[in-house]
Amino acid sequence: MKRRFPLMLVFILGILGIMPYFVPHGGYQNFDNALRNDFIRILSAFAIILGLVSLMRVHHDKIRRKRENWQYSYVLIIGFVVSGVIGLLGGIKGEMFLPTNVAGFHFDIQTLYLNIIVPLGSTMFALLAFFMASASYRAFRARSVESSLLLSAAFVIMIGVLPLADRISTHLPSFAQWIMDIPNVAAKRGITFGIALGGIATSLKIILGIERSWLGGKE
Amino acid sequence: MKIIEKLSRLDRRIVYLVLAAAVLLPLVIPSVQKVRVMTPVAKLFKAVDATPDDRIIILDFDYDPQTLPEIEPMGIALLRHAFKRKIKVAVLSLYVQPLGLAKKALDQVTEEFNGRAESREDSIIYGRDYVFLGWQPPPIVPLLGMGISITNVYTRDYYGLRTDSLPLMLKVKNFNDVGILVSLSGSTAPLYWVSYSQTRFGVAVGAGITAVSASEFYQYYQTGQFSGLMIGMKGAAEYEELVESNLLLKDRRKASEALGSLTAAHLTMIAFIVIGNVGYFIRRRRERRQP
Repeated sequence: MKRRFPLMLVFILGILGIMPYFVPHGGYQNFDNALRNDFIRILSAFAIILGLVSLMRVHHDKIRRKRENWQYSYVLIIGFVVSGVIGLLGGIKGEMFLPTNVAGFHFDIQTLYLNIIVPLGSTMFALLAFFMASASYRAFRARSVESSLLLSAAFVIMIGVLPLADRISTHLPSFAQWIMDIPNVAAKRGITFGIALGGIATSLKIILGIERSWLGGKE
Repeated sequence: MKIIEKLSRLDRRIVYLVLAAAVLLPLVIPSVQKVRVMTPVAKLFKAVDATPDDRIIILDFDYDPQTLPEIEPMGIALLRHAFKRKIKVAVLSLYVQPLGLAKKALDQVTEEFNGRAESREDSIIYGRDYVFLGWQPPPIVPLLGMGISITNVYTRDYYGLRTDSLPLMLKVKNFNDVGILVSLSGSTAPLYWVSYSQTRFGVAVGAGITAVSASEFYQYYQTGQFSGLMIGMKGAAEYEELVESNLLLKDRRKASEALGSLTAAHLTMIAFIVIGNVGYFIRRRRERRQP
């Protein structure tokens, strides 16, 4: 039963997920709407709680056992508690019970987000440009016909998207657009078809209980 | 030859330094760069512009701080376009992180318009001209549920107000009342709107995406599933250009200002790749000559 029940659940819910696309009857559509709007939302709310509890347990355990980089777990737990308290008690702009403006010093959730998360996130992503520049300088070589074609296409696209391209030749932006519209789409469409067919096959195998690796453990 | 060989073996810190200078210097003295508007952006502008009076547009703000510089100008240009044309707007996010950025963009544009408004009629008023629906997990709920009822999915807005009490939402039931939905994202969120909402309910979808992810979206644009696309910083600058030239709005154009930096960065990277390749060919020729 321990294995049969999840398999039955996946089969029933999988079929229920497919049916609305083939059964346009109003009654069934309403049932599907209720299932999706209420049932999934309740499940999702529990999943969020489960996720947060699990996150805290993992980091608490990491600190207790002093695993590698355990000090950073304190940052996560403190960040979680502080933002949780300010968000839940202070509201978006301190309009709730907790005053988030003390003598002109704001620490409401929107201010924290804009002044901590945004700069940190932007900084991390900005570093990518430097790694890309260094990597392409060292590794992007015209070693074969294929790599030369790739290099040429990259140059056309990189220059074609700049305002400068029009000054070099009015055809250059159109050529860059053509590369994106025709060769790129041809290749991407082939890949998409492959992924879609693979996705359908895997989904059917899971729904019908042929693929059971998601259950974990041994067969 | 020796110089080129030396240049092709530069220390990575010098590469970083040159790139940093190339990116930063044009930002010190920002100047608006003129751009030619390409078809994907022109189509999106036209689709938003053609929204009938009895319909709204939905803006899905789904970008995070990482992709903020590229995508935020798109959101701001779209909001300016809608508010200037008096098109009603509903803003939402499929994920939690972009909510703060959506609020930031909304606050900025409403302040711009209300700062120069001469009457209540000219002002942009919450609940009358726009609503901020917020976030409703998991994403499949709004993607499919909004085709039946928007106020049932978002019973309360971002500020905790009941959505069915907002004047704008009294006239809006589901996707049938939506002119176009534009998804601004650094991920594949726009594809979800096409796969789920458009396939099932036929809502028109446009997208604002990062340049690096653009190749994913062209196939859907070519089939007409996306009514238009804004791609990267240049796409945002093109939309800003259309907003300024068609609607005579003279607000700050961040994407157009950043194009100088983008140009310098691209040219620097091309120069590094060329130098690296020239050095590679010189070394290869020498190695072949040696017995």
